[in-house]
Amino acid sequence: MAQVPLAIVSHKRQVCSLYKRALRNLESWYDRRNVYRYRAVQLRARFDENRSKDLGEGIRLLACGQRELFETRHFQPRNFANSAGGCAFEREVIPPDWVLDYWHPLEKAQYPEYFAKREQRKKEFVTWWEKQYGKPDPKDLGHH
Amino acid sequence: MCSISFVNLISMSLSCFLLSLYFLLNDMIYFIEWELVSLNSMSIVMTFLFDWMSLLFMSFVLMISSLVIFYSKEYMMNDNHINRFIMLVLMFVLSMMLLIISPNLISILLGWDGLGLVSYCLVIYFQNIKSYNAGMLTALSNRIGDVALLLSIAWMLNYGSWNYIFYLEIMQNEFEMLMIGSLVMLAAMTKSAQIPFSSWLPAAMAAPTPVSALVHSSTLVTAGVYLLIRFNIILSTSWLGQLMLLLSGLTMFMAGLGANFEFDLKKIIALSTLSQLGLMMSILSMGFLKLAMFHLLTHALFKALLFMCAGAIIHNMNNSQDIRLMGGLSIGIHMPLTSACFNVSNLALCGMPFLAGFYSKDMILEIVSISNVNMFSFFLYYFSTGLTVSYSFRLVYYSMTGDLNCGSLNMLNDESWIMLRGMMGLLIMSIIGGSMLNWLIFPFPYMICLPIYMKLLTLFVCIVGGLFGYLISLSNLFFLNKSLFMYNLSTFLGSMWFMPYISTYGMIFYPLNYGQLVVKSFDQGWSEYFGGQHLYQKLSMYSKTLFLMHNNSLKIYLLLFVFWILILLILLFL
Repeated sequence: MAQVPLAIVSHKRQVCSLYKRALRNLESWYDRRNVYRYRAVQLRARFDENRSKDLGEGIRLLACGQRELFETRHFQPRNFANSAGGCAFEREVIPPDWVLDYWHPLEKAQYPEYFAKREQRKKEFVTWWEKQYGKPDPKDLGHH
Repeated sequence: MCSISFVNLISMSLSCFLLSLYFLLNDMIYFIEWELVSLNSMSIVMTFLFDWMSLLFMSFVLMISSLVIFYSKEYMMNDNHINRFIMLVLMFVLSMMLLIISPNLISILLGWDGLGLVSYCLVIYFQNIKSYNAGMLTALSNRIGDVALLLSIAWMLNYGSWNYIFYLEIMQNEFEMLMIGSLVMLAAMTKSAQIPFSSWLPAAMAAPTPVSALVHSSTLVTAGVYLLIRFNIILSTSWLGQLMLLLSGLTMFMAGLGANFEFDLKKIIALSTLSQLGLMMSILSMGFLKLAMFHLLTHALFKALLFMCAGAIIHNMNNSQDIRLMGGLSIGIHMPLTSACFNVSNLALCGMPFLAGFYSKDMILEIVSISNVNMFSFFLYYFSTGLTVSYSFRLVYYSMTGDLNCGSLNMLNDESWIMLRGMMGLLIMSIIGGSMLNWLIFPFPYMICLPIYMKLLTLFVCIVGGLFGYLISLSNLFFLNKSLFMYNLSTFLGSMWFMPYISTYGMIFYPLNYGQLVVKSFDQGWSEYFGGQHLYQKLSMYSKTLFLMHNNSLKIYLLLFVFWILILLILLFL
């Protein structure tokens, strides 16, 4: 499913985003830092050349730039391993906290202090919430 | 757990090796039958075949798995689920053993399906989206082979027994045996990732590195080759051999090209494995099964070592596998032992004289030169050899001798002594394994008579390939990027000729749409209309009609029971 646009992005932000993505694309193609720096400076010069054009021209140039980026993107982009798109992303799955509530009572009995403190913390959280946001509507608490 | 498994496996490996030597020298084959159940004339018998080939293969598999388990003690140290990992690896080894010693298709199926299932569980070990997708691709590609094997079992019912060992030679010209052979060839192609089933092998690199070292380089992928070694008579006496030669030659070529444009370390090694598998399959399809076995064993040694070195490098790079992020001098200077092992395994892969790979590869290429192959196959063999050296040297450039490209805050060291000890075992085997196997497997040398320029062609191709790979990576003419310059070509070659996309997205669109149509019209349509819903509606209509007849009187309802029993009794006694 396509990403639903959550806000209107200003032209300035779009240009900055294109610049950053283009730099990352250059990083994929040019792995040696000196060569990459040369190409990055050239890219910056291309952006700076069109800096003070008017908005209509700017929008047209932005569309051309995005098309050029699409056509020259690397087939194996260089990602950071532990970030989204990398090979080691989300390797260790951390189970959500509510899973602990589903433990068998005999299992819970192996860690009595932990679960006692957990219940106390849950009660404290509920009182804090009700103090902050008020008591919930009875209609919202269950199925109709 | 790791130490116990290591000790057990290495001792089993040593005993299997000694037994294989004994069997080889005395030319013995043991066929052990164990009757499980016997009822009058029907009996279920479990059979095991022990000959030098199966024992030697078992010893190599056990040795590599023992060293991999020893290695993974440190590699998977920070993992919470290491017990599950070791259990899965041991189950994998068990399935492999069952496959190796089976002379009949049913127990091969047990081992084959076990391999597929356990490799799926190992690929999805790290539970992220990439691993799940890779696991699905692996499992479903292997399932095609499982179905083919099941079909061959069905065809084998024609013969009255599933012990293919007995029927291969006698029935080699029969139509049924040709069917069985083609189905087994299909199964072997899926397991050994030949074209068009090669998309799963690079994807399966989402698994932990010890899994790649054991499973995806030396054992699982060679199971297909081993099966075809057993069925070799069928291949060499029919057109199946020619088809296999073409497909495996193309696989070799495609994988070699792909590895030259790949930037993920493990994927380069995976494509290298794929290329060598193509080489094994192609020499097997020409009828030289001992050579295929020889290359299978030597390749297992240095490829497992290469994966282990890659794992050590990945550990140091904080799990990054991109060679563009691997510095040059950093690996060569800061990881001396690892880079020594890396270099030895790379050189063995390239066919450096007197290392493990040289004996098998050089002999294969010389046999190809004196054989009657067409120009295209000849070109594929030699060009792929050149490509092998090219991507190996490219890898060496990017990871060792090129410019420093690491991120900051990488602590590069060679202090992982347990991993290093695991690698040392394989290092020794990579150096002496080739010559040792050469003296063992071939009691007398092949008579190879070639002109001098043909003899030196292998060496020439390797040197040119190496220079090409290294210098192309090194040079930057006018700071121009060669791959960007030929964007379309490099995308095509670097994505394995788009076959992964064709075999997944390309092939699934119309079948999925058709499947939706079938579900809507049959499952949720006509079968409901005539089946469940129809029955429900008819029954409710009848009961409503009956209630109308009762006119809400319980007496009539009960009287109807009495009438019904009377009618039944009349019918019973009439």
